Amino acid sequence: MTAFIFLGDMLVMFFMIVVVVWVSVYESDERIDYTASIPLQDESEESLSHG
Amino acid sequence: MSSEMTTQPQYYHDEIVKRLVQFSVAWAVLAMAAGVFVAAELLWPTLDMGQPWLSFGRLRPLHTNGIIFGFGVSALMATAFYSVQRTSHVPLFAPKLAWFLCYAWQLLVLSGGLSLLAGMNTTKEYAELEWPFDIAIALLWVSFGIVFFGTISRRKIRPIYISNWFYGALIIVIAMLHIVNNLELPVTWTKSYSLYAGAQDAIVQWWYGHNAVGFLLTGGFLGMLYYFLPKHAGRPIWSYKLSVVAFWAFTYSYIWAGPHHLHYNAIPEWVQSLGMVMSLVLLAPSWATLINGVMTVSSAWEKLKTDPALKFIVLSLAFYGLATFEGPMMAIRSVNVVSHFTDWTIGHVHSGALGWNAMITYGTFYYLMPRLVGTELYSKRLANVHFWLALAGTMLYIIAMWAAGVSQGLLWLSLDETGELAFGFRDIMSSMAPYYGLRLLAGLIFLGGTLLMAYNFYMTTRSRKTVKVEPPVVDPAFGVV
Repeated sequence: MTAFIFLGDMLVMFFMIVVVVWVSVYESDERIDYTASIPLQDESEESLSHG
Repeated sequence: MSSEMTTQPQYYHDEIVKRLVQFSVAWAVLAMAAGVFVAAELLWPTLDMGQPWLSFGRLRPLHTNGIIFGFGVSALMATAFYSVQRTSHVPLFAPKLAWFLCYAWQLLVLSGGLSLLAGMNTTKEYAELEWPFDIAIALLWVSFGIVFFGTISRRKIRPIYISNWFYGALIIVIAMLHIVNNLELPVTWTKSYSLYAGAQDAIVQWWYGHNAVGFLLTGGFLGMLYYFLPKHAGRPIWSYKLSVVAFWAFTYSYIWAGPHHLHYNAIPEWVQSLGMVMSLVLLAPSWATLINGVMTVSSAWEKLKTDPALKFIVLSLAFYGLATFEGPMMAIRSVNVVSHFTDWTIGHVHSGALGWNAMITYGTFYYLMPRLVGTELYSKRLANVHFWLALAGTMLYIIAMWAAGVSQGLLWLSLDETGELAFGFRDIMSSMAPYYGLRLLAGLIFLGGTLLMAYNFYMTTRSRKTVKVEPPVVDPAFGVV
């Protein structure tokens, strides 16, 4: 019984994660490119030049 | 948009980040010095001079707690606050709470460290602090979550960058692990007993212990990597899709791996097997991140020649790959029968702690500190010397402990012609002195490099104010409506 509950828990978690990954990865290329480049454009150029 | 442009400019709260980095560096020096001292005690046991507070049993948890909660968590808070503001394009949520957290956390680590020296100890590894400290940790951790998730909830852009997923998992999972593992019955102000007993206690403890390694020392620092590597290399992460898959695969598989700490113990065999299998599965997400990191930096090799910060970050990736390969191998039961209860484990932990955690943190700090005060690093030469000291110290440490551990494991398993143990515990340990001497030397070298970094940062930031940085203009196509 313990193993059944345990394996069931693992399977349900696995299914949920597959759904989340599927939703995350099948975004438009434009949105993924934008998200990937967030760290490169997250500070105002103007304020940096005054730093 | 026009009404926003007429309002007062809003700046990122970077003064908190700078202060947390300074605290983190101070804890690194103190906790590593404690580590060097206990390494010396293993060579010369009388170094404790008969004082209980100088004994190995009290100083060793001071070393590990100082590194994890002082150095590690302060660094994670600093980098999480720095990156979550920028990736959300808004200043920190509840900055007063963030300042309170910054100082209260240091007070907690200091008082907790003193309690360990005084002999208060739950005896649970990495959860040694007694119940009043456990409650304080839980409350401060919730404050960390309020500041972090509050900032994300006020973000100006729709996407949540991958580093925030790792930092978010760190905050949520560590809260869960800490609270469940530390459920205990207080009997006095300084003593409590766990609600769990026997094998259940062991399973819960190593569910906590291994996932503290997983979600704090791995996941949290991966958040650091995913933000600061692209930032510093000046190009986006090689495959964003791979980073998303790696995050979820990592989160799913890590949580089941804890029982590999309990091989050949009084827990069900299928639980041990599950821990072993899930540890092997972990190789996939770990190396997906490794490949993503190496491919990201592969187009910026030129920068490596001149930039000490990037050198540290790239080297940390190499040790990350090494430690995340060695860990699953040690989780295999036929390997674990040799490695368990030997110095091989200590070597493995330090290839992760020195090679991965400390190196990625040092690289990030070398990137951060000059930018926070709007200047160049005081001495690139000193930073380069630090890099080579850190590499030499780490290599020497893990080679010495690997050799010591494999020797111990094999000698302990040796039988004579009558089937009796061929070597006694005392004989084996007395042959360890050369390895322990090398370990002490390695620790001194690594600590020396960390002191150079502390001096370099002091000279870089001395009498300089933190630069004020504004969020950028939001791309309307991706802004939050």
